[in-house]
Amino acid sequence: MRFEIVVELEGETYAYDITFDLPERFKELRVLEEKLTVNGKPVYTREVEQVHLTQADQDESAKFLIDSGVVALPKIQDLGTSNPLFGFKQWLARTLILRPIPSWIQGTSDNETLEPDTRGINFGNWFSGLLAYAPSAYSKIDDYLKQVMPDLKDIKNPVVGRRFRRLFVEFSNDQVSLNLPFEDLSDGEKCFMICALVLAANDAYGPLFCFWDEPDNYLAPSEVGHFVLALRKAFQTGGQFIATSHNPEAIRGFYDENTLLLYRKSHLEPTIVRRLDGLHVSGDLVDALIRGDVEP
Amino acid sequence: MSVNKYQPHVFVLPEDDANRQLANGFLLDLAISIRKIQVLRPAGGWAKVLDCFISDHLVEMDRYPDRFMVLLIDFDRDEERSTKAKAQIPPGLADRVFILGTLGEPEDLRQANLGSFEQIGLAMAKDCR
Repeated sequence: MRFEIVVELEGETYAYDITFDLPERFKELRVLEEKLTVNGKPVYTREVEQVHLTQADQDESAKFLIDSGVVALPKIQDLGTSNPLFGFKQWLARTLILRPIPSWIQGTSDNETLEPDTRGINFGNWFSGLLAYAPSAYSKIDDYLKQVMPDLKDIKNPVVGRRFRRLFVEFSNDQVSLNLPFEDLSDGEKCFMICALVLAANDAYGPLFCFWDEPDNYLAPSEVGHFVLALRKAFQTGGQFIATSHNPEAIRGFYDENTLLLYRKSHLEPTIVRRLDGLHVSGDLVDALIRGDVEP
Repeated sequence: MSVNKYQPHVFVLPEDDANRQLANGFLLDLAISIRKIQVLRPAGGWAKVLDCFISDHLVEMDRYPDRFMVLLIDFDRDEERSTKAKAQIPPGLADRVFILGTLGEPEDLRQANLGSFEQIGLAMAKDCR
């Protein structure tokens, strides 16, 4: 198995490759090769257990051994925030991989983080961390949420115990107001909240890479197109947004050149990935998908 | 909530997938409020755009006076098409329903190396400013 990431951060091109294999009599995968380069120059290379670390200001490289079952990247120390390794590791750590399960998301927090859990379970910690890192992010969150929920008045995150905060969301009109604990929001409303934080996070500490598995889940049909477009628009100016979907409205939010079709004939065969503009589609794309006529 | 039906809003009814991508690109312009414009499902041909407008949208246009519609069709270099299409729009809606489209087909634009449909749509939005 080989994974490659190529990313451009502040004008520098980072390329990280890692290859795993499973030799005979091994019970776990081992790292066969690993390499990080910046603008084509290696920061370190690795073959099985042998790591060659290239010093930025020296011609000679340092060598050391590492267990073949351990990935070297997190083990190599970065020397200060100007070190290229620091920028890449921080970007990688802040990558947003989202597959929220709204019913599991509570509004409590006992810490602050900029690294949300895939399922969104530490949403409260992320909210607290984002606003601690960049208080101005609240205006971005507020702007987006008031577009999708015009009766939103305020979000509060008061201390409710020695170490805990709890999110409350207030809605109001001219006559009355309603104060709801975060966990009482609907699943779709919780997804709006996550979307608001994604948009604000990309502004505050981006550019981010965001992968959202089926962002259309839990949303009303009339909301899906707007939701996808809001995310796409926000990532136009920096970062990258990738979504997977089976939803017609979500699929229609993209275009042929940036849509990939993933197709698998059976569990025993590899998934084939093809760009949509390289496939022949007769008539409407979604109708063709429904008919099962789009095949690589 | 979706578009606010009681505030000015636009529904775009595209003829096909190419026109749908052009419209999406237009919406990607940062100056455009995406919550006031919604791109509808492609109708599947210019005549079907008009059929769909009459069968699905005519009554709703009366119900929601702040609704505007853009019918996005290909003119296929047919000089009569604009007249034929406009004839389907009731006179009372002439200032709220607009028929737009490429003189030939959107594919002509892509073959002129103007980028993807979405990039062309985005460029059109920027040209409007």
